[in-house]
Amino acid sequence: MAVETAAAVMDPAGLKAIGAGLAVGLTGIGSGLAEKDIGSAAVGAMAENEALFGKGLILTVIPETIVIFGLVVALLIS
Amino acid sequence: MRLLQRLKRGMSTQKSRPQGNSNYAYTTARVRAMKSKLLPKETYPRLINMQIDEITRFVGELEYKEDVDYLARFYEGVDLIEHALNRNLAVTFTKLISISEGELNFLISEYLKKYDIWNIKTILRGKYCGASTDEILEAVVAAGRLTYTFTSELAAKPTYEDVIASLSTSEYASILKDYDGTNLSVIENRLDKKYYQDLFTAIGDPKSKDRKLFSKFIRTDIDMKNLITLFRLKKYKVNDPETADLILDGGLRLKYKEVEKMMPLAFEDFLTELENTSYWEELSDCCGPNMDSLTDVETKLKKLRLKTAASFSHVYPLSIVPIMDYILSKENEVNNLRIIIRGKAVGLSDEEIKSQLVI
Repeated sequence: MAVETAAAVMDPAGLKAIGAGLAVGLTGIGSGLAEKDIGSAAVGAMAENEALFGKGLILTVIPETIVIFGLVVALLIS
Repeated sequence: MRLLQRLKRGMSTQKSRPQGNSNYAYTTARVRAMKSKLLPKETYPRLINMQIDEITRFVGELEYKEDVDYLARFYEGVDLIEHALNRNLAVTFTKLISISEGELNFLISEYLKKYDIWNIKTILRGKYCGASTDEILEAVVAAGRLTYTFTSELAAKPTYEDVIASLSTSEYASILKDYDGTNLSVIENRLDKKYYQDLFTAIGDPKSKDRKLFSKFIRTDIDMKNLITLFRLKKYKVNDPETADLILDGGLRLKYKEVEKMMPLAFEDFLTELENTSYWEELSDCCGPNMDSLTDVETKLKKLRLKTAASFSHVYPLSIVPIMDYILSKENEVNNLRIIIRGKAVGLSDEEIKSQLVI
Protein backbone atom coordinates (compact mmCIF):
# COMPACT_ATOMS: atom_id res chain seq x y z
CA MET A 1 0.00 0.00 0.00
CA ALA A 2 2.72 2.37 1.09
CA VAL A 3 4.82 1.49 -1.98
CA GLU A 4 1.93 2.25 -4.23
CA THR A 5 1.43 5.69 -2.63
CA ALA A 6 5.15 6.49 -2.92
CA ALA A 7 5.15 5.51 -6.58
CA ALA A 8 2.15 7.74 -7.12
CA VAL A 9 3.81 10.73 -5.37
CA MET A 10 7.26 10.36 -6.98
CA ASP A 11 6.57 10.93 -10.60
CA PRO A 12 9.57 9.72 -12.74
CA ALA A 13 9.45 12.89 -14.84
CA GLY A 14 9.69 14.98 -11.68
CA LEU A 15 12.65 12.97 -10.41
CA LYS A 16 14.37 13.47 -13.76
CA ALA A 17 13.81 17.19 -13.50
CA ILE A 18 15.28 17.23 -9.99
CA GLY A 19 18.29 15.26 -11.22
CA ALA A 20 18.80 17.64 -14.11
CA GLY A 21 18.50 20.62 -11.80
CA LEU A 22 21.04 19.16 -9.37
CA ALA A 23 23.44 18.38 -12.22
CA VAL A 24 23.45 21.97 -13.46
CA GLY A 25 23.23 23.60 -10.04
CA LEU A 26 25.99 21.69 -8.28
CA THR A 27 28.40 21.85 -11.22
CA GLY A 28 27.63 25.56 -11.43
CA ILE A 29 28.72 25.99 -7.80
CA GLY A 30 31.80 23.88 -8.52
CA SER A 31 32.94 25.92 -11.47
CA GLY A 32 32.15 29.12 -9.59
CA LEU A 33 34.44 28.10 -6.76
CA ALA A 34 37.17 27.14 -9.18
CA GLU A 35 36.88 30.33 -11.19
CA LYS A 36 36.89 32.58 -8.14
CA ASP A 37 40.63 32.30 -7.45
CA ILE A 38 41.70 32.03 -11.07
CA GLY A 39 39.65 35.10 -11.98
CA SER A 40 41.04 37.22 -9.17
CA ALA A 41 44.59 36.09 -9.98
CA ALA A 42 44.01 36.95 -13.65
CA VAL A 43 42.73 40.40 -12.75
CA GLY A 44 45.75 40.90 -10.49
CA ALA A 45 48.19 39.97 -13.24
CA MET A 46 46.26 42.09 -15.75
CA ALA A 47 46.41 45.13 -13.48
CA GLU A 48 50.19 45.04 -13.83
CA ASN A 49 50.46 43.88 -17.42
CA GLU A 50 47.57 44.44 -19.78
CA ALA A 51 49.00 42.06 -22.37
CA LEU A 52 47.97 39.18 -20.11
CA PHE A 53 44.28 39.82 -20.79
CA GLY A 54 43.94 37.06 -23.39
CA LYS A 55 45.75 34.42 -21.36
CA GLY A 56 43.93 35.43 -18.20
CA LEU A 57 40.57 35.15 -19.89
CA ILE A 58 41.30 31.68 -21.28
CA LEU A 59 42.55 30.38 -17.94
CA THR A 60 39.54 31.87 -16.15
CA VAL A 61 37.00 30.05 -18.35
CA ILE A 62 38.70 26.64 -18.24
CA PRO A 63 36.66 25.49 -15.18
CA GLU A 64 33.57 26.47 -17.17
CA THR A 65 33.86 22.96 -18.69
CA ILE A 66 32.61 21.55 -15.37
CA VAL A 67 29.25 23.29 -15.68
CA ILE A 68 29.08 22.40 -19.39
CA PHE A 69 29.40 18.72 -18.44
CA GLY A 70 26.62 19.31 -15.90
CA LEU A 71 24.47 20.83 -18.62
CA VAL A 72 25.13 17.90 -20.95
CA VAL A 73 24.16 15.44 -18.21
CA ALA A 74 21.01 17.47 -17.53
CA LEU A 75 20.07 17.39 -21.21
CA LEU A 76 20.71 13.65 -21.39
CA ILE A 77 18.51 12.98 -18.35
CA SER A 78 15.54 15.09 -19.38
CA MET B 1 31.24 41.10 2.00
CA ARG B 2 33.51 44.00 2.98
CA LEU B 3 30.92 45.17 5.48
CA LEU B 4 30.74 41.69 6.94
CA GLN B 5 34.51 41.59 7.26
CA ARG B 6 34.53 44.97 8.93
CA LEU B 7 31.83 43.86 11.36
CA LYS B 8 33.82 40.74 12.15
CA ARG B 9 36.94 42.82 12.69
CA GLY B 10 35.03 45.15 14.96
CA MET B 11 33.84 42.25 17.08
CA SER B 12 37.16 40.44 17.28
CA THR B 13 39.10 40.95 20.47
CA GLN B 14 42.46 41.37 18.75
CA LYS B 15 41.80 44.49 16.75
CA SER B 16 45.20 44.62 15.13
CA ARG B 17 44.83 41.15 13.72
CA PRO B 18 42.23 41.10 10.97
CA GLN B 19 40.38 37.85 10.53
CA GLY B 20 38.88 38.58 7.11
CA ASN B 21 39.52 36.58 3.97
CA SER B 22 42.95 37.01 2.48
CA ASN B 23 43.10 37.53 -1.27
CA TYR B 24 46.20 35.38 -1.80
CA ALA B 25 45.39 34.55 -5.44
CA TYR B 26 45.03 38.18 -6.49
CA THR B 27 48.01 39.50 -4.55
CA THR B 28 50.48 36.77 -5.46
CA ALA B 29 49.56 36.90 -9.16
CA ARG B 30 49.94 40.68 -9.17
CA VAL B 31 53.21 40.51 -7.27
CA ARG B 32 54.55 37.92 -9.71
CA ALA B 33 53.65 40.23 -12.60
CA MET B 34 55.45 43.03 -10.73
CA LYS B 35 58.48 40.80 -10.24
CA SER B 36 58.70 40.15 -13.97
CA LYS B 37 59.26 43.89 -14.41
CA LEU B 38 62.40 43.93 -12.26
CA LEU B 39 65.68 44.49 -14.08
CA PRO B 40 67.20 41.29 -15.48
CA LYS B 41 70.72 40.54 -14.33
CA GLU B 42 72.17 41.19 -17.80
CA THR B 43 71.28 44.88 -17.41
CA TYR B 44 73.79 45.59 -14.65
CA PRO B 45 76.99 45.17 -16.69
CA ARG B 46 75.43 47.50 -19.28
CA LEU B 47 74.62 50.05 -16.59
CA ILE B 48 78.19 49.94 -15.28
CA ASN B 49 79.44 50.99 -18.71
CA MET B 50 77.17 54.03 -18.84
CA GLN B 51 77.76 57.60 -17.60
CA ILE B 52 75.59 59.08 -14.83
CA ASP B 53 73.41 61.05 -17.27
CA GLU B 54 72.82 57.97 -19.37
CA ILE B 55 71.91 55.98 -16.27
CA THR B 56 69.47 58.70 -15.21
CA ARG B 57 67.80 58.54 -18.63
CA PHE B 58 67.78 54.74 -18.60
CA VAL B 59 66.27 54.60 -15.10
CA GLY B 60 63.78 57.32 -16.09
CA GLU B 61 62.45 55.09 -18.85
CA LEU B 62 61.81 52.15 -16.54
CA GLU B 63 59.42 51.65 -13.66
CA TYR B 64 60.92 54.72 -12.03
CA LYS B 65 59.65 57.07 -14.75
CA GLU B 66 56.89 58.64 -12.68
CA ASP B 67 59.20 59.21 -9.71
CA VAL B 68 61.99 60.70 -11.82
CA ASP B 69 59.51 62.99 -13.60
CA TYR B 70 57.95 64.11 -10.33
CA LEU B 71 61.22 64.75 -8.52
CA ALA B 72 63.05 66.34 -11.47
CA ARG B 73 61.61 69.68 -10.34
CA PHE B 74 63.47 69.53 -7.02
CA TYR B 75 66.67 67.58 -7.59
CA GLU B 76 69.20 66.77 -10.28
CA GLY B 77 71.94 64.28 -11.07
CA VAL B 78 72.75 61.66 -8.44
CA ASP B 79 70.39 63.14 -5.84
CA LEU B 80 67.51 62.87 -8.29
CA ILE B 81 68.05 59.13 -8.81
CA GLU B 82 68.60 58.53 -5.10
CA HIS B 83 65.31 60.24 -4.22
CA ALA B 84 63.49 58.57 -7.12
CA LEU B 85 64.68 55.13 -5.98
CA ASN B 86 63.56 55.78 -2.41
CA ARG B 87 60.22 57.13 -3.53
CA ASN B 88 59.63 54.20 -5.85
CA LEU B 89 60.48 51.73 -3.09
CA ALA B 90 58.03 53.46 -0.76
CA VAL B 91 55.27 53.59 -3.40
CA THR B 92 55.76 49.94 -4.37
CA PHE B 93 55.66 48.64 -0.82
CA THR B 94 52.71 50.82 0.17
CA LYS B 95 50.96 49.38 -2.89
CA LEU B 96 51.54 45.88 -1.53
CA ILE B 97 49.80 46.90 1.68
CA SER B 98 46.90 48.49 -0.18
CA ILE B 99 46.23 45.58 -2.56
CA SER B 100 46.25 42.89 0.11
CA GLU B 101 43.41 42.08 2.46
CA GLY B 102 42.80 40.36 5.75
CA GLU B 103 45.57 38.42 7.37
CA LEU B 104 47.90 38.79 4.40
CA ASN B 105 47.68 42.55 4.76
CA PHE B 106 48.45 42.24 8.47
CA LEU B 107 51.54 40.10 7.86
CA ILE B 108 52.89 42.36 5.10
CA SER B 109 52.47 45.48 7.20
CA GLU B 110 54.13 43.76 10.17
CA TYR B 111 57.08 42.85 7.93
CA LEU B 112 57.28 46.35 6.45
CA LYS B 113 57.41 47.86 9.91
CA LYS B 114 61.15 47.58 9.50
CA TYR B 115 60.93 50.73 7.37
CA ASP B 116 59.15 52.60 10.18
CA ILE B 117 61.97 51.59 12.49
CA TRP B 118 64.52 52.48 9.82
CA ASN B 119 62.97 55.95 9.46
CA ILE B 120 62.83 56.58 13.20
CA LYS B 121 66.47 55.49 13.46
CA THR B 122 67.46 57.72 10.53
CA ILE B 123 65.75 60.74 12.05
CA LEU B 124 67.29 60.16 15.48
CA ARG B 125 70.73 59.66 13.89
CA GLY B 126 70.22 62.83 11.86
CA LYS B 127 69.33 64.82 14.96
CA TYR B 128 72.27 63.24 16.81
CA CYS B 129 74.81 64.53 14.31
CA GLY B 130 72.97 67.73 13.45
CA ALA B 131 72.02 66.90 9.86
CA SER B 132 69.65 69.18 7.96
CA THR B 133 66.05 68.17 7.21
CA ASP B 134 66.91 67.61 3.52
CA GLU B 135 69.84 65.39 4.40
CA ILE B 136 67.63 63.28 6.67
CA LEU B 137 64.88 63.03 4.06
CA GLU B 138 67.40 61.71 1.55
CA ALA B 139 67.60 58.46 3.53
CA VAL B 140 63.92 58.18 4.46
CA VAL B 141 61.87 55.40 2.84
CA ALA B 142 58.24 55.80 3.86
CA ALA B 143 57.24 52.23 3.04
CA GLY B 144 55.72 51.26 6.36
CA ARG B 145 52.77 52.51 8.36
CA LEU B 146 54.24 55.97 8.98
CA THR B 147 53.42 58.19 6.01
CA TYR B 148 55.96 60.34 4.18
CA THR B 149 54.19 63.51 5.35
CA PHE B 150 54.41 62.44 8.98
CA THR B 151 58.03 61.35 8.62
CA SER B 152 59.04 64.63 6.98
CA GLU B 153 57.28 66.51 9.78
CA LEU B 154 59.33 64.47 12.25
CA ALA B 155 62.53 65.21 10.32
CA ALA B 156 61.74 68.94 10.42
CA LYS B 157 61.49 68.99 14.24
CA PRO B 158 64.35 70.96 15.79
CA THR B 159 65.43 68.51 18.52
CA TYR B 160 65.22 64.80 19.29
CA GLU B 161 62.92 65.52 22.26
CA ASP B 162 60.31 66.93 19.87
CA VAL B 163 60.63 63.84 17.65
CA ILE B 164 60.07 61.53 20.61
CA ALA B 165 57.16 63.65 21.86
CA SER B 166 55.46 63.33 18.44
CA LEU B 167 55.86 59.57 18.61
CA SER B 168 54.50 59.36 22.16
CA THR B 169 51.31 57.64 21.03
CA SER B 170 53.09 55.12 18.80
CA GLU B 171 54.10 51.60 19.81
CA TYR B 172 57.75 52.68 19.97
CA ALA B 173 57.11 55.24 22.72
CA SER B 174 58.10 52.86 25.56
CA ILE B 175 61.54 52.36 24.03
CA LEU B 176 62.08 55.90 22.81
CA LYS B 177 61.37 57.45 26.21
CA ASP B 178 64.67 55.98 27.46
CA TYR B 179 66.66 57.91 24.86
CA ASP B 180 68.74 60.61 26.51
CA GLY B 181 70.63 61.93 23.50
CA THR B 182 73.70 59.72 23.98
CA ASN B 183 72.60 56.07 24.08
CA LEU B 184 71.56 55.90 20.41
CA SER B 185 73.01 52.45 19.74
CA VAL B 186 71.18 50.91 22.72
CA ILE B 187 67.87 52.36 21.54
CA GLU B 188 68.51 51.20 17.96
CA ASN B 189 69.17 47.69 19.20
CA ARG B 190 66.04 47.63 21.28
CA LEU B 191 63.97 48.85 18.32
CA ASP B 192 65.39 46.08 16.13
CA LYS B 193 64.71 43.45 18.76
CA LYS B 194 61.17 44.73 19.20
CA TYR B 195 60.66 44.41 15.44
CA TYR B 196 61.57 40.73 15.42
CA GLN B 197 59.62 40.03 18.60
CA ASP B 198 56.52 41.64 17.09
CA LEU B 199 57.02 39.68 13.90
CA PHE B 200 57.21 36.40 15.79
CA THR B 201 54.11 37.33 17.79
CA ALA B 202 52.34 38.09 14.49
CA ILE B 203 53.29 34.71 13.05
CA GLY B 204 52.28 33.02 16.30
CA ASP B 205 52.76 29.30 16.60
CA PRO B 206 53.03 28.34 12.90
CA LYS B 207 50.71 25.43 12.11
CA SER B 208 50.08 25.55 8.39
CA LYS B 209 52.94 24.80 6.01
CA ASP B 210 53.08 28.26 4.47
CA ARG B 211 53.21 29.86 7.92
CA LYS B 212 56.09 27.57 8.84
CA LEU B 213 57.86 28.66 5.68
CA PHE B 214 57.31 32.32 6.51
CA SER B 215 58.71 31.73 9.97
CA LYS B 216 61.70 29.98 8.38
CA PHE B 217 62.14 32.95 6.08
CA ILE B 218 62.30 35.40 8.98
CA ARG B 219 64.64 33.14 10.95
CA THR B 220 67.01 32.87 7.98
CA ASP B 221 66.98 36.67 7.92
CA ILE B 222 68.08 36.64 11.57
CA ASP B 223 70.85 34.13 10.77
CA MET B 224 72.21 36.40 8.04
CA LYS B 225 72.09 39.46 10.28
CA ASN B 226 73.88 37.59 13.10
CA LEU B 227 76.54 36.26 10.73
CA ILE B 228 77.26 39.69 9.29
CA THR B 229 77.46 41.18 12.80
CA LEU B 230 79.82 38.38 13.88
CA PHE B 231 82.05 38.81 10.82
CA ARG B 232 82.28 42.56 11.36
CA LEU B 233 82.99 42.25 15.10
CA LYS B 234 85.61 39.55 14.64
CA LYS B 235 87.33 41.13 11.66
CA TYR B 236 87.77 44.45 13.44
CA LYS B 237 88.61 42.74 16.74
CA VAL B 238 85.84 44.23 18.83
CA ASN B 239 85.62 42.30 22.07
CA ASP B 240 83.42 44.56 24.12
CA PRO B 241 81.07 42.42 26.29
CA GLU B 242 78.27 44.87 25.48
CA THR B 243 78.30 43.67 21.87
CA ALA B 244 76.43 40.54 23.03
CA ASP B 245 73.34 42.75 22.82
CA LEU B 246 73.77 42.97 19.06
CA ILE B 247 72.90 39.32 18.58
CA LEU B 248 69.31 38.54 17.69
CA ASP B 249 67.53 35.53 19.10
CA GLY B 250 65.54 33.07 16.96
CA GLY B 251 67.95 32.08 14.18
CA LEU B 252 67.19 29.00 12.09
CA ARG B 253 70.48 27.26 11.41
CA LEU B 254 72.53 29.21 13.95
CA LYS B 255 70.95 29.00 17.37
CA TYR B 256 71.44 31.78 19.89
CA LYS B 257 73.69 29.58 22.05
CA GLU B 258 76.01 28.79 19.13
CA VAL B 259 76.33 32.46 18.26
CA GLU B 260 76.94 33.29 21.92
CA LYS B 261 79.72 30.69 21.97
CA MET B 262 81.35 32.35 18.95
CA MET B 263 81.23 35.83 20.47
CA PRO B 264 84.42 35.78 22.58
CA LEU B 265 86.54 33.96 19.96
CA ALA B 266 89.30 35.51 17.85
CA PHE B 267 88.77 35.76 14.07
CA GLU B 268 90.66 32.54 13.21
CA ASP B 269 88.90 30.54 15.94
CA PHE B 270 85.59 31.98 14.83
CA LEU B 271 86.22 30.69 11.30
CA THR B 272 87.12 27.24 12.66
CA GLU B 273 83.91 27.23 14.66
CA LEU B 274 81.98 28.36 11.58
CA GLU B 275 83.26 25.32 9.70
CA ASN B 276 81.02 23.17 11.89
CA THR B 277 77.90 25.02 10.84
CA SER B 278 75.82 24.41 7.73
CA TYR B 279 76.65 27.87 6.37
CA TRP B 280 80.28 26.94 5.83
CA GLU B 281 79.43 25.09 2.62
CA GLU B 282 78.27 28.34 1.03
CA LEU B 283 80.87 30.59 2.60
CA SER B 284 84.00 28.43 2.40
CA ASP B 285 85.23 29.77 -0.94
CA CYS B 286 85.31 33.41 0.14
CA CYS B 287 86.35 33.03 3.79
CA GLY B 288 89.85 32.68 5.12
CA PRO B 289 92.04 34.00 7.90
CA ASN B 290 93.76 36.36 5.45
CA MET B 291 90.72 37.93 3.88
CA ASP B 292 91.11 41.67 3.24
CA SER B 293 87.57 42.94 3.20
CA LEU B 294 84.18 41.61 4.15
CA THR B 295 82.53 42.72 0.90
CA ASP B 296 82.74 39.23 -0.62
CA VAL B 297 81.23 37.53 2.41
CA GLU B 298 78.44 40.06 2.72
CA THR B 299 77.62 39.86 -0.98
CA LYS B 300 77.66 36.08 -0.77
CA LEU B 301 75.31 36.09 2.21
CA LYS B 302 72.93 38.46 0.45
CA LYS B 303 72.97 36.27 -2.65
CA LEU B 304 72.27 33.22 -0.53
CA ARG B 305 69.38 35.07 1.09
CA LEU B 306 67.86 35.91 -2.30
CA LYS B 307 68.35 32.36 -3.53
CA THR B 308 66.65 30.82 -0.49
CA ALA B 309 63.77 33.28 -0.75
CA ALA B 310 63.28 32.44 -4.44
CA SER B 311 63.30 28.70 -3.79
CA PHE B 312 60.87 29.11 -0.85
CA SER B 313 58.51 31.09 -3.06
CA HIS B 314 58.15 28.19 -5.48
CA VAL B 315 57.17 25.74 -2.76
CA TYR B 316 53.94 27.52 -1.79
CA PRO B 317 52.83 29.78 -4.63
CA LEU B 318 49.67 30.90 -2.83
CA SER B 319 51.20 32.19 0.38
CA ILE B 320 53.02 35.19 1.76
CA VAL B 321 56.43 33.85 0.74
CA PRO B 322 56.37 34.95 -2.95
CA ILE B 323 55.52 38.44 -1.71
CA MET B 324 58.48 38.41 0.68
CA ASP B 325 60.65 37.20 -2.18
CA TYR B 326 59.50 40.16 -4.27
CA ILE B 327 60.18 42.61 -1.44
CA LEU B 328 63.75 41.29 -1.14
CA SER B 329 64.37 41.34 -4.90
CA LYS B 330 63.04 44.87 -5.22
CA GLU B 331 65.20 46.08 -2.31
CA ASN B 332 68.14 44.42 -3.96
CA GLU B 333 67.47 46.10 -7.30
CA VAL B 334 67.24 49.51 -5.68
CA ASN B 335 70.44 48.84 -3.72
CA ASN B 336 72.30 47.75 -6.85
CA LEU B 337 71.20 50.83 -8.76
CA ARG B 338 72.25 53.00 -5.83
CA ILE B 339 75.65 51.31 -5.65
CA ILE B 340 76.24 51.89 -9.36
CA ILE B 341 75.19 55.54 -9.24
CA ARG B 342 77.00 56.41 -6.03
CA GLY B 343 80.06 54.49 -7.20
CA LYS B 344 80.11 56.37 -10.50
CA ALA B 345 79.61 59.71 -8.71
CA VAL B 346 82.65 59.23 -6.46
CA GLY B 347 84.73 57.81 -9.32
CA LEU B 348 85.12 54.16 -8.25
CA SER B 349 86.47 51.82 -10.89
CA ASP B 350 84.06 49.49 -12.71
CA GLU B 351 85.67 46.48 -11.04
CA GLU B 352 85.09 47.88 -7.58
CA ILE B 353 81.47 48.66 -8.34
CA LYS B 354 80.98 45.18 -9.78
CA SER B 355 82.35 43.55 -6.63
CA GLN B 356 79.74 45.38 -4.52
CA LEU B 357 76.75 44.37 -6.63
CA VAL B 358 74.49 41.52 -5.58
CA ILE B 359 73.31 39.97 -8.83
